[in-house]
Amino acid sequence: MTQPDQKKLDQIARMWSHRGRGLITEMDLKIEKVAIDGVLVRMPFNPSFCADEEKTLLHGGVLTALLDSVFGLANFVAIDGISSMATIDLRVDYLRPARSQADIMVRAECFRQTRHIAFDSGSVWFDESDQAEVARGTATFALTRGEVSIFDAMTQSRVSK
Amino acid sequence: MTPDRATQQLRKVPFFQFLDFAITGLDETHAVATMPFAERLVGNPIMEYYHGGIIASFMEAVAAICVSHGPDLQPPKPINLTVDYLRPAVKGPLMTEATVSRKGKRMASVRTTCWQDDTSRPVAEGVYHFLMV
Repeated sequence: MTQPDQKKLDQIARMWSHRGRGLITEMDLKIEKVAIDGVLVRMPFNPSFCADEEKTLLHGGVLTALLDSVFGLANFVAIDGISSMATIDLRVDYLRPARSQADIMVRAECFRQTRHIAFDSGSVWFDESDQAEVARGTATFALTRGEVSIFDAMTQSRVSK
Repeated sequence: MTPDRATQQLRKVPFFQFLDFAITGLDETHAVATMPFAERLVGNPIMEYYHGGIIASFMEAVAAICVSHGPDLQPPKPINLTVDYLRPAVKGPLMTEATVSRKGKRMASVRTTCWQDDTSRPVAEGVYHFLMV
């Protein structure tokens, strides 16, 4: 396939948002930028993701879940014809306490893809003046490529409904 | 502390309420917990699989309880984690056992394993590091 144009990328991003379910829906993610070389996603503050009763500190696990989700989007955008993908492993460093009620920003990129494997890295910070990095993660994914990409499958299943 | 008492304490943590797991076993170096399946924990848009990040979060929670439980203990500060995803976690309850590998004055290292029907077929394994000070 030729280099996908921005319209196709935006369409993929919209599909990812609309067809998302479960945790992705709970996180209420807003895609701010989609490109082959990376995606930028915003998550609004959510008190049920906090680690303390005062609701001032996000639980680290939320940042991990967020990175895993956004890696999925980065792969979806960067890799052509994925029919399925599975996380092989995930490593996250918690760089400072996630103590804020500001929106969380995540940047993720698929920095290397082979026929079977994708390598991703990403970074998390609060949308406030210092933009200090709160967490950084890397992950690898097992890819299944097929005639029907996830994107096509979703488009078709939506049409058939 | 008894598992029931530990579960009661967990109710104070909003994110643990979101995960909605219960501690079923607890001693000096182990913690075991069960989490029922729920739609909000799903990660795959087509199949009803748990979200990988939820599995990591659940294991992190049990690992933290394993190194620090008691009425007035501060929760340990998570430093980093590594998760090895071995199989999809399908619709149904999820169990995690956390085991302290080493607990010093400043640092703790905890190994976790997560399974569904068969302990010999784990869905994921993890290594978690905590700062205790």
